[in-house]
Formats: sequence, structure tokens, C-alpha cells
Amino acid sequence: MRIPPQSFFRFCEVHVPLLRRLASAGGEVSEADVRRMIRDTQGEDAELPETTWRRLGELHILVPTEPGSDLHFLAEPVRRLVDYLFDAAQAATPEIVRGYIQSMEASGRQLARAIEQDELTLLRLAIDDIQKVLIRVQADLDETHRCILNEVSRYKTERRTVSVRDKFRRIVHWMERYVEPMTDIVRPDGPLRSVFDETGRLLIRARDHGLYTDLPTLERSLRLLRIVQRHALRVFQQCRRELQPLYESLRRSSFLAEGAAKALEALQRDGAGGWAEAHAVRAFQQRWQHVPSDAAITRALRNVAETTVEPPPVLGLGEPEAPPADYQRRVWLEALPGEAGASVPIDDLLGWIVRRNPGCTTADALAGFTRLVFDTSFVAGFDGGEPRVHETADGSLESCPVQLSLP
Amino acid sequence: MTELPHLKDVFDRLRRGHHLSPEDEPLFSAVAARHEDYAAWFRQLGITLVRHPRDFFYFDPEGGEGEREALSRIAVFAFILVDHAANEGRPVEEYVFGQHFLLPRLPHLGLDRYVGLLRQVDVEDMAGLRQVVRNLERFGFAKVVGEDEFRFQRPFHRFLDKCLEVAQAPAPASGPGVGEARAEDAG
Repeated sequence: MRIPPQSFFRFCEVHVPLLRRLASAGGEVSEADVRRMIRDTQGEDAELPETTWRRLGELHILVPTEPGSDLHFLAEPVRRLVDYLFDAAQAATPEIVRGYIQSMEASGRQLARAIEQDELTLLRLAIDDIQKVLIRVQADLDETHRCILNEVSRYKTERRTVSVRDKFRRIVHWMERYVEPMTDIVRPDGPLRSVFDETGRLLIRARDHGLYTDLPTLERSLRLLRIVQRHALRVFQQCRRELQPLYESLRRSSFLAEGAAKALEALQRDGAGGWAEAHAVRAFQQRWQHVPSDAAITRALRNVAETTVEPPPVLGLGEPEAPPADYQRRVWLEALPGEAGASVPIDDLLGWIVRRNPGCTTADALAGFTRLVFDTSFVAGFDGGEPRVHETADGSLESCPVQLSLP
Repeated sequence: MTELPHLKDVFDRLRRGHHLSPEDEPLFSAVAARHEDYAAWFRQLGITLVRHPRDFFYFDPEGGEGEREALSRIAVFAFILVDHAANEGRPVEEYVFGQHFLLPRLPHLGLDRYVGLLRQVDVEDMAGLRQVVRNLERFGFAKVVGEDEFRFQRPFHRFLDKCLEVAQAPAPASGPGVGEARAEDAG
């Protein structure tokens, strides 16, 4: 299959938007999709859409996924060309780089065999293979670096609202899918360095063996080995440095967001009761009530300091000559039920008290009356008689007669 | 121990739950310069003076009575703000500390879910939000800089610490998707 370069580039010249659309579609596209893209990107004075569709196939720009299939994909060399022209970098995956390492190991074995067997053709082929792999490794490393730089700048300038968690997931993806495993591969004690060292030793052996006389090519290969080796490590260190601050910032924000979301979810699920215990920040609070002021404390201290000592009062402990009046009154009241019991029935209780105790006061008369009326060993009641007046030492009492009898 | 400057004012602020940050001059500088001396002094009263790694001071709430309701409202307010920043794809700390906020433009009353959450702690409207902001200022978490305008201060980091604490607490059901890395690494 040969494609005339002039025809190919002439077609590309007038179908740049279409090629770009096809490249950005990625993966398989149906015939209907391609025809729609042709219509969308075709100018008014351009060729017929049918012609464009036919030429895409003839120039092997679009390749069917299988013979007779309706699905097509953009031929890989064209995709790479478009990516190159539009600086649309594709990051090399660790698997790709491991593939290069395996390829170099195979070429190394071939090289060793060629040296052992003095096989010049085999040796030349092996060196060619090694050079091609090295050039691809270098190109892929550059592309990966560009790709990560684009990704970082996209994060910083993106206007579309993407949650912190999604951003963090994407960064984690980049770190875990590309940067970390790649750094492991290219680090000084990693597999890339090891295969490069081995290849370098074989190339030197080939030179020393005198079999391969194209010394400039050998030297170029050795130089390329050293350059790619250094370049690989530097590229992934740079990538890591680009991503790391973003990764750190987003990781922290993501955890903060996760905590806030959990706290709010708990509030929504369980309500406010008990929520504060686990989720609210606590603050110190100390309220004071009735605290003496400084002036009050000073005054109290001054009162203590200025107090003059007084002698204690002297209590008279001698026996009094006559019993106290209150005591006598108590004795009289306690003896009253006994006296009344001997005199029941009594027709007019108050008159009886006043008569038996001439000189008693109104208060005493009433106290005696109350003592007897409420005494449970007697029954008291009005007899329906007319009111009578009883003279006391300090006044008079008027009352209807109250009878007192035994129950 | 020589006499500590502004001791009375420092104690008076801290015992009310206030957090001393660089906004609280000259008290902050006084405490920052002789933190150990102040801590020793307050220790005699049975109070622990905490110096946060972000360089602000507060009394350890373990020894105090707390002010549950106001702090619950502040917590819900803070968590909503963090949630909103994350949904907007903004780095949370840059969002919280890198701008002034206007009350009417806060996200709290703009989303039914947020309104429902605030209602759980009896914040119903703009007046309720205004009260929360006043309390934020009272505790030293924020500073009101104009009518309905405020900005957060360093002590607000205590809420971010709480977010990290909650994030790393074991989940009752299945964990979140992003939790591959551990939360304590995020500090």
C-alpha cells in the first residue's frame, strides 16, 4: 500500500478541520458520524461530501475496524501526525515504557548473540532497533511531559465547575497511573536504568570487538542512551513537581469536603440532638455570678483588721428566788384539765375559769378556755343560753355559755 | 514570674471562649511572646491555654461550660461553607481565607438542602445568619468588616480540623470513594 504524499498532503491541506474532528473523536466512528463531520466542516465551494468520504478511505486516513464494517478509526500514523501538528500530547503509559524496556532487552540479547557469532548483519539490525526504541522513548517522554503540563494548566484555568473531589480523583489518576509508576521505572536503580546500562555495555563490547566499524553510529547510540536516561528521570521528576502541589492542595480540600459532607449528612440523618457532641467545635465558657468585687474584699479585710476585742458577756448562773411567770403559767395550763375533770359537767366554761382564777388576765382566760375546748378528753358545746359578761384583770369577755362534759 | 502584660484583658477574653489571633493586638503579641508564662499562670486556675499549630490561642474547652447552641449553629454554618467550596471545585482553604464574604451572597440560603440543615439548628433566615456571624466574631473565628461583610480569621482552622477529624472517623456504612489515601496524611 503506497499513498502518494502529494495527494495525501493536498487532501489534508483542505480538510484540516475534518482531520481534527476525527482525531478528537478518538476510537471508533461510524460512517454516519464521519459523513456528519464532513458536512459540518465542509466549505460551500468544496468538493462533494461523497468524494471526501471516498478519499478518506483511498488515502488510508480512515481504516475500517474489520473488512466491510460500518465502524472506522483514524489510522494511527495520521492520528500521531495530527496530534503532533496540534500539540495534542498523549501521555505514555507505564506499560508503553515497559514495552520499550522489553524491546531493548530483546535487542540486547540479539546484540550479544551477534557479537558472539560475529554476525555483522544481525549486529547492525540490533543497533538500528535500539536506536529506534531510544528515539521513541525520548519522544514519548517529551509528549508525556507536555501532556502533564497541559493537564496542570487546565486545572488552573478551568472555568467549568468541577467538584474538588472530582478534581482530586483526576489528579490521583494522573499520579497513580503515570507519574508514580513511571518514576519507579526510570529511577536510578529501576529497570530502565538497568537495561540501558546493559545495552551500553554491549555497545562498548561491540566497539571493542572490532566487528562493527561504523564507530560514529555506535558513539551516537551510546550518547543517546545517556541522554535518554538522564532525560527520563528529569522529565518525571519535573512532572511530579508540577503535580505534587496540586495533588497536596486537592487532597487536603478533598478530605475537608469529605468531613463537612459527613457532618452535614449526620445532621440530616439523625437530627440536631446529640449531633453537636461529635461535630461542633467546643469553646471555653466560664460565667461568674455573685463574685465579690475587689472593693468588697478590701472592706471585709479592713473590718477584720480594725475590729476591737470586747470581753465576753458574763452569764448569771445563780438560782432565781421565784419561778418565772411564764413557767408558772405553763404549770397552771397543764393542771387545768385535771381540775376541770373533777368539776364536769361545767355549764359555762369561761365563767368557770374566771371564777376559779380571780385576777387572771383576758389572755390567760382565753388560753385556759382554748386548752380545755381542744382537749380530747372532754366534749364542749354551746348550750343556747344568752351571752354573759366575765370580768378579767385587764378587761372583760362576753360569750355565750359553753358546756364542758365528759364524752 | 514577673507581671504579665494585659493579663486581665487576656483572661477576660479567653474565658468567654474568644480565640486570640493576630487581629487581637496587643493581646496576641503579649501572649505569643510569653506563651509559657501565661500558660503557667492559667494552669494555677486549672485552665489550659492552648497554642494551635496555626498560631492562635484559646482556653481548652474541657474545663469550661461550653455554649452548645451557638457553637452548633456555627458548625453547621462552617460545614455548609466547606461543602459549597468543594462543590464549586475551589480549594477550601483558599476559598475560606482568601476573600471577604457578603451575607446576602452566602450559599447558605440558596439551596434547599442547606436551608433544611440550618433549620435543624433554628437558623431560619438572614437574621439568623447575621446572628451566627456575630457569634463567629464573638469567638474570634471571623471579623465583621462592614455592614453584612465579614472575613474569616485563623481560629476558623478549628472547624477545618474538625472536618478532617470527621473525615477520618470510621464510617458507619461504606466509605467514600476518594478515601484511598488516609485522612491523617492530609494535615
